[in-house]
Amino acid sequence: MRRWPLGSRFGCFAIVKSRWRLFATVVAGLALGGAILTGLAVPQQTNREESGARLRESPGAGALFGWLGGFRALAADLLWLRMYAGWERRDLPGTQTLIRAVVAVDPRPAYFWINGARILAYDQPVWRIEAEGGFEAVPTERRRVIEVEQARLALGLLEEARGLRASTAAMWTEQANIELNKLGDIAAAAASFRRAWEQPAGPYYAARIYGELLRRLDRHREAYEWLCSLYPKLPPEDEAADAPLVLARIRELERMLAVPPAAAFRSGR
Amino acid sequence: MTTVPFSLTRVGLIAAVTLREAVRQKLVAGLALIACGFVLGVRALRDFNFGTPELKFIADFGDGVIAGFGAVLTIVLLAQLFFGELESRTALTLLAKPVWRSEFLLGKFCGVVAVVVVFCVLLTATLSVVLWQRESALRVEGFAAVPAGVGFDPGALWVAAWMHIVRLTVLAAGMMLVACIAQTQLYAIIVGFSGFVGCHLQHVAQGVYSRAGSSAMAWIATLIGWMFPDFHLFTLEAGGAWTFEGVARLTVYGAGYAALALGLAVWVFRHREI
Repeated sequence: MRRWPLGSRFGCFAIVKSRWRLFATVVAGLALGGAILTGLAVPQQTNREESGARLRESPGAGALFGWLGGFRALAADLLWLRMYAGWERRDLPGTQTLIRAVVAVDPRPAYFWINGARILAYDQPVWRIEAEGGFEAVPTERRRVIEVEQARLALGLLEEARGLRASTAAMWTEQANIELNKLGDIAAAAASFRRAWEQPAGPYYAARIYGELLRRLDRHREAYEWLCSLYPKLPPEDEAADAPLVLARIRELERMLAVPPAAAFRSGR
Repeated sequence: MTTVPFSLTRVGLIAAVTLREAVRQKLVAGLALIACGFVLGVRALRDFNFGTPELKFIADFGDGVIAGFGAVLTIVLLAQLFFGELESRTALTLLAKPVWRSEFLLGKFCGVVAVVVVFCVLLTATLSVVLWQRESALRVEGFAAVPAGVGFDPGALWVAAWMHIVRLTVLAAGMMLVACIAQTQLYAIIVGFSGFVGCHLQHVAQGVYSRAGSSAMAWIATLIGWMFPDFHLFTLEAGGAWTFEGVARLTVYGAGYAALALGLAVWVFRHREI
């Protein structure tokens, strides 16, 4: 390699040239080598993909928290505490922002999604109504608008959670409760309770409530068939399954539907 | 001048001297003690834990301590040892003897990697003890806090430790390249930390660039994606799912990047005036 001494008239140009060449070689070397190696790295389908997707959705949060690694859980917990401080002050935008920040930092725990949805659906409508003058002053129609808006936000959060992490029975139950208590949409709530029951370790009460909601929708035949198919799956020794209650409801529906004794459900227990 | 063949013995000797030097440094002992303190004291932070089961929280936090302090140790230690040799002129004395520059660099690199391996093993062992002790206590209390599949899995913990070692080895090689280009220790450390954060944010950057919809941006993103390893790939969550094939592929990926960075570091160092 030809070198120019520092004192010569070409010295400074030579240094600049050699620096540029050095950088260009390093960049080209890294890019070429990296292109080959990147093919070898198969992305692993683990939870980090979920969080990665969530972080890419919000580049700001990604830049802040993408490199936190194992400190994510602690960072999310501290943000959740901060969110509670805002919740106590009834700071609506602050609370909403921090709920989103918490699930961006650590989307793994269902706790944050479910409790975030509860705050959006149940607490924040009260804050908004009180900010507009209180329950006495705000007309029913306006209160309904606020409750529906907030319920939709909560359902959106739960929907997002299911897109990023495995859906759980608790999430479907939460969705069903919001649909039932805040939207008054019995059909949607029934469908969600059924989904909750179908999840691994789905609670027995979700299946019972599904049957009850079918009754409320005047789908008595469907409710009867559902409970008849449910009953054999209920362990008699498990109090949570409450098999006697289900059997009582089956009998009630048989009377209502005038099912002949010969065709009546036989419990076999 | 007669040239001597490349010798792994000389590399080993330089690595051993580097390791001895590193062990004598207060920085290494200080960082190791602080990190151990964090891992041992993680239970004091459990009151702040809401979302995750306690054992998962402890494992995650310990994982974060190993990753964070490990990176600080790798970057600062390598810069100190490399520039220490140059500033004290011992590198000149050494390289005046029949020692290859590549042997010098590899020796330094291996010495730092040895420190990193000891650091990761020490902290993972401490974390294992903390997790085992806590899990035993929870089981004795008959707590439902240890549901199936959430308990402490030593295998996954040690696989996570291996991933830390691979990632920190890549970081050490990259840092060696930066140190060979840089003229001052401070500059090397700043660039090293920036590179570390950048490598962790690769996946975020790729997602943002791909959504931008511009082909020029996509090309730049691809180039950056090739140049810098994606450290996020190595973030195997302690206790998380892993496969032997996945770990092997990531090891090859990391070793490849380390070899690439070291090769370039040797090339740059051969052209550097000491």
